[in-house]
Amino acid sequence: MRSAISLLLLPALAAAAGLPSYSVLSEEPGAWPQILESIGLQRKPASVARVLVLGEGALAAPEWSTRVQDGALLILEGESPLAEMFGFRRGDANVRAGSLTDVHDAKLPVVWERALELPVCHVPDGAQVFARERWSGAPLMAGLRRGAGAVLWLAVSPGNRGYERFPYLLQALTALGLEPPFHSGRLWAFFDYAYRMRVDPLYFAGLWRKAGIAALHVSAWHFFERDEARDRYLAELIQACHGRGIQVYCWLELPHVSEKFWESHPEWREKTAVGQDAHLDWRKLMNLQNHACARAVSAGVRELIFRFDWDGINLAELYFESLEGIDNPSRFTPLNDDVREEFRRRHGFDPLEIFGARKDTASRRLFLNFRAELARRMQEEWLGEIEGIRRDKPQLDVVLTHVDDRFDEGMREAIGADAAAVLPLMARIPFTFMVEDPATVWHLGPQRYLEIARRYEALEARKDRLAIDINIVERYQDVYPTKQQTGVELFQLVHMASGAFERVALYFENSLRKADLALLPSAAAAVGRVERIGPKLVVESAYGVGVPWDGPAMVDGRPWPVRTDRLVWLPAGAHSIEASAAMDGPRVLDFNGDLQSARYGRDGRIELAYRSQARAFAVLDRRPVSLELDGVDMQPDLCSPQVLVLPRGQHLVTIRTE
Amino acid sequence: MRAGLFLLACGLLAQSPDPAYEPLAKAYEALRSRHYDAAVSLFLKAIEAAPERAAVRRDMAYTYLKIGENELAREQFREAVRLEPSNHHTALEYAFLCFETGEKVQARRIFDRVRREGDPESRATAEQAFQNIDGPLAAGIARWQEAIRLGGGNFSAHYELATLAEQRDELELAARHYEAAWRLLPDRRSVLVDLGRVWKALNRVEQANAALLAASRGGQARAAEKARELLPARYPYVPEFLAALELDVRNIELRRELAYLLLRMKRQKEAEEEFRIITRMDESDLLSAAQLGFLYLGRGDRINAMPLLERVLRGDDIELANRVRAVLRLPQQLQRRAAAASPAAASLDAKQMAERSMRAGYMKDALKYLQLAHEADPVDTNVMLKLGWTYNILKQDSMAARWFDLARRSTDPGVASEAQRAWRSLRSSLGRVRTSVWAFPFYSSRWRDLFSYGQFRTDFRVPFPVQPYFSARFIGDVRRTMDSGSLGSSQPQYLSESAVIAAVGLTTPVWKGLRGWGEAGTSINYLTHHVTPDYRGGVAYFRGFGRGLASEGSGWFTETAADGLFVSRFGDDVLFYWQNRLGFGQGAGPLRLQFYINANLTADVRRQYWANFVESGPGVRFWPSALPSSLYFTVNFLRGAYTLNRGNPRRPNFFDFRAGMGYAFSY
Repeated sequence: MRSAISLLLLPALAAAAGLPSYSVLSEEPGAWPQILESIGLQRKPASVARVLVLGEGALAAPEWSTRVQDGALLILEGESPLAEMFGFRRGDANVRAGSLTDVHDAKLPVVWERALELPVCHVPDGAQVFARERWSGAPLMAGLRRGAGAVLWLAVSPGNRGYERFPYLLQALTALGLEPPFHSGRLWAFFDYAYRMRVDPLYFAGLWRKAGIAALHVSAWHFFERDEARDRYLAELIQACHGRGIQVYCWLELPHVSEKFWESHPEWREKTAVGQDAHLDWRKLMNLQNHACARAVSAGVRELIFRFDWDGINLAELYFESLEGIDNPSRFTPLNDDVREEFRRRHGFDPLEIFGARKDTASRRLFLNFRAELARRMQEEWLGEIEGIRRDKPQLDVVLTHVDDRFDEGMREAIGADAAAVLPLMARIPFTFMVEDPATVWHLGPQRYLEIARRYEALEARKDRLAIDINIVERYQDVYPTKQQTGVELFQLVHMASGAFERVALYFENSLRKADLALLPSAAAAVGRVERIGPKLVVESAYGVGVPWDGPAMVDGRPWPVRTDRLVWLPAGAHSIEASAAMDGPRVLDFNGDLQSARYGRDGRIELAYRSQARAFAVLDRRPVSLELDGVDMQPDLCSPQVLVLPRGQHLVTIRTE
Repeated sequence: MRAGLFLLACGLLAQSPDPAYEPLAKAYEALRSRHYDAAVSLFLKAIEAAPERAAVRRDMAYTYLKIGENELAREQFREAVRLEPSNHHTALEYAFLCFETGEKVQARRIFDRVRREGDPESRATAEQAFQNIDGPLAAGIARWQEAIRLGGGNFSAHYELATLAEQRDELELAARHYEAAWRLLPDRRSVLVDLGRVWKALNRVEQANAALLAASRGGQARAAEKARELLPARYPYVPEFLAALELDVRNIELRRELAYLLLRMKRQKEAEEEFRIITRMDESDLLSAAQLGFLYLGRGDRINAMPLLERVLRGDDIELANRVRAVLRLPQQLQRRAAAASPAAASLDAKQMAERSMRAGYMKDALKYLQLAHEADPVDTNVMLKLGWTYNILKQDSMAARWFDLARRSTDPGVASEAQRAWRSLRSSLGRVRTSVWAFPFYSSRWRDLFSYGQFRTDFRVPFPVQPYFSARFIGDVRRTMDSGSLGSSQPQYLSESAVIAAVGLTTPVWKGLRGWGEAGTSINYLTHHVTPDYRGGVAYFRGFGRGLASEGSGWFTETAADGLFVSRFGDDVLFYWQNRLGFGQGAGPLRLQFYINANLTADVRRQYWANFVESGPGVRFWPSALPSSLYFTVNFLRGAYTLNRGNPRRPNFFDFRAGMGYAFSY
């Protein structure tokens, strides 16, 4: 055994400079691959892996100390002679562990679905306890730094799915020195002004971009009417985002228009099946089937779009209420007079009757079909409205956020959502179809995204225009260990979704917990292959990726201009990186479009080929002085001294800098 | 002079620097340059230096707001309000933040206070804010009340109404509708927690504790956790259990816990009643059925017990059913549990964990995993065998024997034979009658004779501190030594009595290696055919540590044997033997060896020379592993010295080469 471990040690030193990888030294790896791969770690043989997982009962050997001193990160589960060797010893007492507190988010309740009887273990001097049993304070997760490496000890395995017990396990690993291997800057995030009224937008723009956010979808209903202070805030927010290379979308939640619109037009309010105004949850729904109302809303939207420097429009959740469907008449819409009249004309009876005397299945089916068709018509009309606006403001991208009704097939009946009826519109009006994870499946595991993607591909939706919206909110289901996705669960969701969809959006930036922000870009990176071939590192990614790299680099044999001091940004596909002896030229530090190629042209100019559904922002390390777009000289459009605004679409640009 | 010094001191004190000045100055500088994180840590230093300054708290709060830390900002405003209760502007800021961070109840209360007590400007703002909160709450309450009146009285309507009512401090209304909502969906345990919280706010402590106790047992772990936060830290009293059950009648786990509590309190009658309710309410609760059945059985009520126990036997909990079978003295059932998902995989996993635990010496954990493995795959006889060994190591031999008994029926010959051997060995020690035979023939160069000791003994297990036995000893040699009856004879009659001694005796059980015994019998000399009475008895002690002869692997060992023996035959003498061995065992391969050093002491009360000597020297003990494990060989080279030489016809020192073999078995 000892000699075997010694053999493992020798090559480990040679590979220490490589990207972090992992190995599970157990016949049953459990959920460790899902956990560690969720932030991009690749599985490698134990002889070269930096992160090594050893299960309960792992035998002690002095070689492990050496390997940790040399930089290995050992993860030890439960009791074992090896854990004892590092000082994690079983005490006499036991504790019934059912909840814990973690230093990474001390106020977050972490509750285990099934409590476990565990021995109380002593941790060695100098160890940092990351998680404790909530009521007794017994240590459940602790780390110990030794030389260039560290040991992370868990009182028990992290569970079958990997996130049942220790949500902040990966944060603990990074606190012990693990640097995740890849970064992505392609996430979208929703932004609700109501939660951020008093923040400094400039401060937050920096945080968002660091967290890998490429576009912010801003709650536009707060700005529907003119208001000097609010308008100034939004203008500042947009400017701050653009200055950091973040696009800003106008997020509409029709038929909710605005608070003031609701107050001003009680005559246009939507009605529920019990005849009440449809104020459901936070939304105050308007009757868009009413022509006068629709005209007023349309004019307001147009004015809103032209009042601010938006990059796109997101038409979200444009259908009816509620998830409880016809079973709950007090939340069931639309039953305004216009809808009732139209239905009566077509089918000869008032739809309100289906909640009274006419409860037969056929009548109900008739109205539910009518309602789904009405929702589709409404979506088509409003996409048409937006398309009309885009004729005057062509920079705008369009997104339709639509709840999934393929995976959860009850959605058509519940809220009238029918993706199969909407998707054919993509052929006529180009838009990104953003699938909203329905609340009914928020408790299911990350694998659901593969299945959702598969079902939309079956509808022949354009894969490059499919996005997924992950709701990071407190779930109404009885879920564990946290009500809202965080830590390992969040990273698994984002990682799985990033591999299955062209674009991943998070609802919403305010609900993301601070402890998660640093690892989010790594979770969003979709990397298929990593290989070291001689001095070259070959990385294959689905949508482009940032790879940690110090100093000048050559990509595919050519000096590469798209990089920071710590990261090289690669386009999608397989590319090799190697160290470059060339002098450093001007650099693109950050780019939020889809990079296709880059190189240095004559006189140190930067040539970029890119594709982007909305305007793209290139953050440079110096001021650009001239620009050539698809062979035509142009004056650079700058939103700040070093941030270049580039048009949407597919283009080749040549940038000359100071 | 004194007055002058006093004035100087006052002046110095007056000029003493503001401890918060420096961090504050730097904090404002950081704030101006939008370095919020630095500003936060500097403000915290300033607060540490001047914790009672409301203005610093406010500026800290505004800095938190810039970076989106609204809850931290709210806490600073709360402190500022505490420090300056009359500052209505701060109170309003606090209230707004309460509203933004979800503490609507608190926000509404503060706005309500300021609109009545504040300055005119604050009053106006507070009034507007209060109405902004209160208006929608009032409208919402009215709307949901109307919805319920119109027939929409479902869970959602009651729950929404209760939530709004709680936010509006209409606690009676909130409690009514939380309860209504919970009654509609009793599985939503979090609503029970809401109800408990509101009752607590209404100072209905008993009701609150009942709701919270009910929520803390059974159902959703998260709700249970929340309930625990609100419950008193102590363990609940029986009346509180009863109150909780009155509210939540169908809470089986709560009732079962109460029943077990009553049992611990020796209130069996009440416990039985609770178990009875459970078994009527939920026929699938086999644990309660078994427990109640055992209670009936315990007091001889077989008529009531059997239907319950039969229910358990019919159920799908094999382990529980086997416990019932054990009590009813029925054969254990070895059926694979049909409902178990992938039992083989689960069993494999648990088996691996068990093996690791055994290797690491964690026998209790090994036992736990083996039980899981058995549960997952109840016909895996290998697991049963391991369970047997584990129980055996844990000194629970009756359980061990049960598992060996099951495992010896294995179709795997290896498992079956190992289990058979172990079962026989244990059964003999646990059976009512146990017969053991041992023999130890050896050659002594000192006496140039081959001696043999042996005993056939039958023990009878009786429920008393001492157990009777029948014994037949053989003590003889090949040189046919005659007992001259003279203890001073040079012949080794004390090594060979050339007799068979039949006796009956009493022995204590072995306790930590110590045993007491005594017997009375008849000695029949097989050479002279003399028959003489024989009485002997004493205490015997044996302990060994380290690697045994049959152990795998190498290692040190030590053993000690001490005997105090009364023998009527030698003139009612009392002899002491103390024999020690320290050595190293090499326990792998076909030959297991132990090398050791002997250190022996023999003495007696009657001070006979032959019974007082010491001896020491090397020895080896070995066991060819192909032979039965109870057969072994020894070779010893001993150098001895008499400690009493009066009457000793020999030299005071001696050498002795002894070679012998030991064999024992029991049944």
